Amino acid sequence: MKLHPVLKRWEGVLALLLVAEILLFGALNPVFLQPSMLLYATSDFIHVGITALALTLVIITGGIDLSVGSVMGLSAITLGILWVGGVDIWLAAVAALAVGTLGGVFNAVAIHLSKVNPLVITLGTGFLYGGAALVLSGLAGATGYEGISNFDPAFVNLANLEVVGLPLPFALFLALTVGFMALLHRTRFGRYVYLIGQNPRAAAYAGTPVFRTLVVAYALTGLLAALSGLILASYFGSARSDFGSTALMPAITAVVLGGTSIYGGSGTILGTALAALLVGYLQTGLQLVGVSSHVSSALSGGLLVIVVALRSLSEMGRVWLQHRRVLRNVAAE
Amino acid sequence: MAGTSPSDQRPPLVEARQIWKFFGPIAVLRGVDLTLRPGEVHALLGGNGAGKSTLMKMIAGLYRLDRGELLVCGEDASAMTPVIARQAGIHLVPQEPMLFPSLSVEENVLMHVPGNRKELRARLETMIAEIGAGMTLSTQAGQLEVADQQMVEILRGLIRDARILILDEPTSALTPREVGKLFERIRALTAQGVGIFFISHKLGEIRAIADIVSILRDGQVVLAGPPKSFTDAEIVAAMTHVEGKEGFTLGRAAAPAEHGAERLRVEGLAGEGFADVTFSLHAGEILGLAGVVGSGRTELAETIYGIRPAARGRIFVDGKPLAGHGPRDSLDAGVVYLPEDRQVSGLFVNAPLVWNASALVLHRGREWLPLARERADFAEQIRLLGIVCSSADQPVRTLSGGNQQKVLLAKCLAAGPRVLILDEPTRGVDVAVRADIYRLIDRLAGEGLAILLISSDHEEIERLSHRVLVMNHGYPGGLLEGSDITINAIARLSFGVGAKMDAAQ
Amino acid sequence: MIIRFLQRHREASVALIIVVLFAILGLVDRSYLSFDTVLLVYGNSLILFVLAIGATMVMATHGLDVSVGSIMGLAAVVAGLLMNAGWGIPLSIGVALLVGLLCGLFNGVLVSWLKVSAIVATLGTLGLYRGLVHLLSGGSWIEGLPEDFKALTKAGSLGLSPVAWLVLVLLVVAHFGLRYTAFGRSMFAVGDNREGARLIGIRVNEVQIVAFGLNGLLAALAGVIFASQIGFIPNTAGTGMEMRAIASSVLGGVSLLGGTGTVLGAALGAYFMTSIDSILVLLRLEAYWNDIIAGAILLVVLITDGKIREAVDRLLRYQKYRKFIDPQAAGPQADAAKAARPLKTALETSEARK
Repeated sequence: MKLHPVLKRWEGVLALLLVAEILLFGALNPVFLQPSMLLYATSDFIHVGITALALTLVIITGGIDLSVGSVMGLSAITLGILWVGGVDIWLAAVAALAVGTLGGVFNAVAIHLSKVNPLVITLGTGFLYGGAALVLSGLAGATGYEGISNFDPAFVNLANLEVVGLPLPFALFLALTVGFMALLHRTRFGRYVYLIGQNPRAAAYAGTPVFRTLVVAYALTGLLAALSGLILASYFGSARSDFGSTALMPAITAVVLGGTSIYGGSGTILGTALAALLVGYLQTGLQLVGVSSHVSSALSGGLLVIVVALRSLSEMGRVWLQHRRVLRNVAAE
Repeated sequence: MAGTSPSDQRPPLVEARQIWKFFGPIAVLRGVDLTLRPGEVHALLGGNGAGKSTLMKMIAGLYRLDRGELLVCGEDASAMTPVIARQAGIHLVPQEPMLFPSLSVEENVLMHVPGNRKELRARLETMIAEIGAGMTLSTQAGQLEVADQQMVEILRGLIRDARILILDEPTSALTPREVGKLFERIRALTAQGVGIFFISHKLGEIRAIADIVSILRDGQVVLAGPPKSFTDAEIVAAMTHVEGKEGFTLGRAAAPAEHGAERLRVEGLAGEGFADVTFSLHAGEILGLAGVVGSGRTELAETIYGIRPAARGRIFVDGKPLAGHGPRDSLDAGVVYLPEDRQVSGLFVNAPLVWNASALVLHRGREWLPLARERADFAEQIRLLGIVCSSADQPVRTLSGGNQQKVLLAKCLAAGPRVLILDEPTRGVDVAVRADIYRLIDRLAGEGLAILLISSDHEEIERLSHRVLVMNHGYPGGLLEGSDITINAIARLSFGVGAKMDAAQ
Repeated sequence: MIIRFLQRHREASVALIIVVLFAILGLVDRSYLSFDTVLLVYGNSLILFVLAIGATMVMATHGLDVSVGSIMGLAAVVAGLLMNAGWGIPLSIGVALLVGLLCGLFNGVLVSWLKVSAIVATLGTLGLYRGLVHLLSGGSWIEGLPEDFKALTKAGSLGLSPVAWLVLVLLVVAHFGLRYTAFGRSMFAVGDNREGARLIGIRVNEVQIVAFGLNGLLAALAGVIFASQIGFIPNTAGTGMEMRAIASSVLGGVSLLGGTGTVLGAALGAYFMTSIDSILVLLRLEAYWNDIIAGAILLVVLITDGKIREAVDRLLRYQKYRKFIDPQAAGPQADAAKAARPLKTALETSEARK
């Protein structure tokens, strides 16, 4: 069986699936094919994609960050609290990004200090950051549902701004995708990320700066999660502590569906970006053809299960076929 | 020696006929025939990668055989699984203890054993007392020393009344006294009709306990029969690559008349598993570091390289002290270490070849990766080292063991070493690659590199080294120079018998 | 000494933290320091107890299940729909539990047979099962559950509801079952050393699948308890519970790397997580302090634990190599080894000659 070169790479398969998906929904409801529809639909899910880009780095190092959802909420609330306190909105935004970055640094330091599984540590910091967001919003007297609103109109308008014909959040996503591709595939830092994930022991023997690399990877994840929180705050015109609570699982889904091994060592930024769009458009498309948003989230869960199970099965099949071939060759001798 | 009468009419406990096993495309066993009779100790001997452990794991059901026939007690057992093996009374004591580190000794031994707990516990206590092992039932297995862990593994087999016991290098971590106890136990078992496979590297032990010895090389049985019918020389010749020797065009490396400047000096170094080590290594010199496994050789090398902490002593590179350092400092000083286990510590097996080759020099370049130069450098190394590969992007795991080792060498050489520490540089590689690596080591020394060569293969040490430091139980056991370097002298010093024997003579 | 004890018996350290928490409560108002408070927290912990038992089993086999919150919701919805359709309480609960068991087994099959990593597989089913919840409920709350069903969690004999008694029995059975039965031990063996477990004849895949299955069953039970406690079933029933269940178990000493942990520890962890909640209410503090306190304590425990383990490792390493590193301290045994050391002088003279 000869595979077309495009299909040999997982990103090729994802790109084809994305096109097929858009065409399919377009056939069911032509509205879906309108460029403005396709572009502005991204605003509903692009925060997941942005977070997933940085999360890819962390997962390739063999780690994971379960605190990204909480960081989104914390960053939005930080912005809100500072704004309510009379701080300039742009300064407040910078502070929110700084808080997210620090959260990431703290994750890496805690993982390094305790030598405990990143899954467990970030589970803990997830509670901590989410809790901090709740406390801050509680102290500010914001009700859970409405959160903090009445932001500077200039900030709220950001989400609706257009850059070269693209909505600003989506343009940001594209720019970050390119930037992270360069970072992961073209820089020494990116190479260290892969090597540490492949074989931490061999990386240590090679004198790789493991801790420094991990700090940067987790800090970038915190930064992008915070950025996602700000994008949501601008998009909704308000800041809530539970902003990110539903974003964690889709972000991990995008990374894994994008071809990154949850055990670390392999994966690409392009794959994550395509998978984020694939899952995001699946939800939008299903809603457009009348499926409830909750059921559509079930289907993306189902998609993840099917894809990873098929990939696992095909790998088993490949090994089995190779084994058969070897045995046949021996028999022929 | 426990004898078996030739008129034994019972069917053999295990009979393997023309067994083949493949790992990926590589044949690990190539048509092996083997028989184990009741009451017999069948020793298996062979170098690393000869297929002994694979064969034994297959009999225990951990691996499925690919071709051939396996009979247990006369019945077909080609579809062996661990569960069936257990029912058939087969017990494997693996080379690396496979205990449950968080569970107690008692839980480890009695796990999955049917029967009355209380009785079992009483029996276990008696057994521990009989064997004279220093452990209690409640000790956590992870806290035991390797020797005791091995003992726990053996107890597991004993308590289950195994009919077929497989001991994969059971004595490697035991003291002579414990070995004596184990042998008593083995004799008692064989008297009851138990059959035992016994893997060892120690000829003396095999002569003491085995009824039959089979020697494996490259997945085939090359010699089989009662140990007393072979001389030591015949056995060693069968184990090592006799025909391969023709490939080694080089004679024994002659000690250079004059060494270059001193590159590495170690003074009174002590660390995790060794102490009082003092030596110096000069440019153009190959210093062999010999000793049995566990004699502190690798620990010494890792301490010099900065992976393990030094407790006492000093290390000088080019006359400058190297203290409180990590691998990065060593690399910057020109000390490069080739680890003994290439899959675990040396290579990134799922990464492209070219990434592996440049792993030690990344930190010297800029943040932006010079991808084109990286490739060009590796192409040059492919040529120099004769690496057989189809593309610089293929993952290391798709290469044969020998080529993987060459990639590891390429990685080390790319760092531009002044002192190169080679830990088992030819482990698990085929004859041709071995010859290539020997030639390379000779050439590198000729070019003025200072080389510390660690090897369990005494022949390898003898052939390549200008001087040999032999380690014995963590302490320097002796230094050999010039014509004193013989396989026998190395062996005597590594086992620590040399000194006493010399003194007695 | 105390540190070593707490290290070995993680249950004790969690119990200590709980005592401290209650002591703080007592300092504020002595009247709160009563058995009623203990029972109150117990009653509020039922769901987390049940989930923690399941999490302990799955984590013992070196697995992880983040879909339990969705299984909870699904079971609750199934039970609610069937009861409202007049199926009768026992049968409805039975079907709900069966659904949970099947969901858990499916997770197990994905992980053990199809070799999908546990977090990825259950992340997928987390979405899948939650979707089924919405599909079945049609997006609306299920209300009007039978009074008899709600009564299951109303206080009865000795201040405990029927379900509270059931959970107590479950805790005891699970604790001793995991410690002392062959199957319980084999779950830990699979997580501790999978290859080693296979070698001694344990069917590792099947054991893990059963652990996932039982976990699903318990998650379904938690869902039923939830429905009975609040009297209606929202679509979000169980959301986020997976993280609380895992956090409880980890706090109680169950390792994510498999092989260690007890139900008692996990239950104490769950009790602690809930007690923060209840105590905040009693202290008239806002409920929003809950997560930050839970997170901070979880982190402190984890990091201290990691540090202690590191120190213990260092000590073991030192003891292992003592005769080389510190010959004076090693005593006569090392001296003997040194005396027996051959040819050292030969080496020195050889070096001196150079």
